[in-house]
Amino acid sequence: MAAKKNKKQKREDYRAAMKQDDVLTMPRKKFYRQRAHANPFSDHQLVYPPHPDQMDWSTLYPAYVAQEESQPEATPSSTTEDLSAPVKVKKLTQDVEVADIGCGFGGLLIALAPVMPQTLVLGLEIRVSVTQFVEDRIKVLRRQNEESKAYQNVSVLRANTMKFLPNFFRQGQLSKIFICFPDPHFKARKHKQRIVSTTLNSEYAYAVRPGGVVYTITDVPDLHGWMVQHFEAHPMFERVGVEEQEGDPCVEIMRNATEEGKKVERNKGEKFVALFRRLEDPVF
Amino acid sequence: MIIPYHLLQASGSVIFAAQGVDILSFNTSMEHLSTWKYPVKATETPSEPAADAEASATVEAPPTPEGPPAKRRRTENDEKEAHAGDAGTPNSTNGQKKGRFHNKPQPVNLSNEKPFINCLLATANGSHVIAATGSDKTIWVFEHDGSGNLKQLSQRAMPKRPCSLTLTTDQKKILSADKFGDVYALPLLPSAEPTLPPTVQSLPSRSATPASAPIPFKPQANDKTVHTKRNLKALENQKISMELSLKAAAERSAEESQPAFEHTLLLGHVSMLTAITVAPGIGATGEKREWIITADRDEHVRISRGIPQAYFIEGFCLGHEDFVSRLCVVPGREELLVSGGGDDDVFLWRWKEKQLLGRANILEEIKNTIEPELTKIAVSRLKGFSLASGETVVAVICEKIPAVVLFTLVEDTLKHTATYSLKEQGVPLDVELLPNDNLLVSIDTTEGKPDAAAPFLVLTRNGPDSWDQKPVVDVPAGETELNGEEMQKLLYTTESLRKMSDFD
Repeated sequence: MAAKKNKKQKREDYRAAMKQDDVLTMPRKKFYRQRAHANPFSDHQLVYPPHPDQMDWSTLYPAYVAQEESQPEATPSSTTEDLSAPVKVKKLTQDVEVADIGCGFGGLLIALAPVMPQTLVLGLEIRVSVTQFVEDRIKVLRRQNEESKAYQNVSVLRANTMKFLPNFFRQGQLSKIFICFPDPHFKARKHKQRIVSTTLNSEYAYAVRPGGVVYTITDVPDLHGWMVQHFEAHPMFERVGVEEQEGDPCVEIMRNATEEGKKVERNKGEKFVALFRRLEDPVF
Repeated sequence: MIIPYHLLQASGSVIFAAQGVDILSFNTSMEHLSTWKYPVKATETPSEPAADAEASATVEAPPTPEGPPAKRRRTENDEKEAHAGDAGTPNSTNGQKKGRFHNKPQPVNLSNEKPFINCLLATANGSHVIAATGSDKTIWVFEHDGSGNLKQLSQRAMPKRPCSLTLTTDQKKILSADKFGDVYALPLLPSAEPTLPPTVQSLPSRSATPASAPIPFKPQANDKTVHTKRNLKALENQKISMELSLKAAAERSAEESQPAFEHTLLLGHVSMLTAITVAPGIGATGEKREWIITADRDEHVRISRGIPQAYFIEGFCLGHEDFVSRLCVVPGREELLVSGGGDDDVFLWRWKEKQLLGRANILEEIKNTIEPELTKIAVSRLKGFSLASGETVVAVICEKIPAVVLFTLVEDTLKHTATYSLKEQGVPLDVELLPNDNLLVSIDTTEGKPDAAAPFLVLTRNGPDSWDQKPVVDVPAGETELNGEEMQKLLYTTESLRKMSDFD
């Protein structure tokens, strides 16, 4: 009867085809569309480790899995490992150091990968389909660049960072956090859902090491004002000066490589950038 | 319906017990001393006890022509009333967003839900008693004269419903953890003069916009941020309608402003807070310091520094795989913390090092002695007592489980000593230490055998793990017009923290 496949069916077929191992064409966004907003307060069916030590990074960064010669028991930070569920996790040779919170379709990740080839970069996104798109995108890129081993240092994860950031990262593990074009939540009633707030900044201060930087960019002037106000009100952050900001190569990427950044460019909108440095721990 | 005593707090030789909306005081022989009654406003609470079932059936939209519409709240009558409510009261969702759901909750008059006391706390020297009531979000401070009489000093309505209260070690500040995830500090005794607007001295809250933002109004989106024809048109319309309602909005925002008393936002989680406690310790410079420990519904136990560095997170005690509902700093061993919630175990931590010392399986203990079929538990009380004999006892009560599980702290482990079955008597609600090393347990007798029913039970220890019990029968019995089901909902709130999501 229905000779034409409906949208949903097409989408499922496409996604199934993308699962094949030999796909070399980039995924197409139209098969991964999802509504633009997710409620950060609801209990999604999320997968997250109870403790950062139990996070299995090996599937995300297969090229960085440590050889199993060292004894995993001998790690000094394994405080809970012996007591909690005996999860044996493959260790990586290095930790994730850069996080892109709300990475969307992954433009920033892809652009950052060649700029910091020695650093592990992780994108975090709450929307399932969008995360899947970035996952497929990275998979294809890795396959296309098998000889040069490029894009092995970027990966993506579905997560609600507002709630579960400390489940993934240990204290001071990150050197950079990117918050690019976050959901503006225009209505005052929705302001509590914004990704930046003074109380939440404490968690960013926990995950970022002293001297690390939180990068923010938005095209909404009021949200920019909000983010600056809330970061400046937090005693653990100071705003990075304009000169240093413009000298940072990541800022250029953030302006021009993200999907939102390109969209704003097309519409000749304004982009507001603010960088905040994590200060040294105060004495207590 | 008889209300049981659901919260106990010892203060010197006086025992305070919350019974629904009232606080009663007893001496150590459990003789009734005095009662503080919640000041009921005649207009808000219908006092006909006959209205048992009807009280909730006649909810509908309250006639509130002025002010914002009542908060929407899920009630058990939703399904039944959904259609009737829609037809009968077209304005009931006035100003509310049209939901996608057919069974959308109807606005319910707040007075319909009893402001049950959900926290009861006494200062170390017994001079003051602090209570928080649920539905009216109020923190009450009372002066205690030492012989059980309470004099109300202040009544402060918080922006969000407090879930847990504690005091700083200097006993001068109340820390209130609320459902929204924020922790506020309030002075125990508010200063007389009206204080500065809270935004000046406190961190900007994510629940409140910056003070200067709303007036004069300008739409946050502009023709640069919205692109489609439809959105641009909507933006135009928004501008027009907003200009019209500018005055009204300004008036409203003035009304909705922060409470007038001094309160400082200290820290916040994004998920619902369930417990807060303060633990003393020694700082890096050798001075006496304190740390604020908070637990939330998303399995976190967070260690933050005390005032004035509460914005600094020292770390997380991670390991729980279900919600955390109770925290307890072990008395006499303040470097140790016990946490419990929806997991099968309670966890023992050396909190400053974020180190898990051990787990004690409560579910197994209860399965062995009380209910072999049990699959999950929700810890509703977790209290540590330092006995005169030098022992440290940790008592655990799980929601709707007729047992008190007792542990003794042996060095750095929790050793199970007894699972005290209360199958005959009912379900324990709270436990407290009496000055003579006896344990006082308050009981919801609706589940027990009628002839064994007693609102209190005194457990006297007569051996390493054997306890004698003595029921206390002669205490005032409170009555309420609530029916059994409604009362269950007010008394047993822990299990509802468990997540049951089936969607992405």
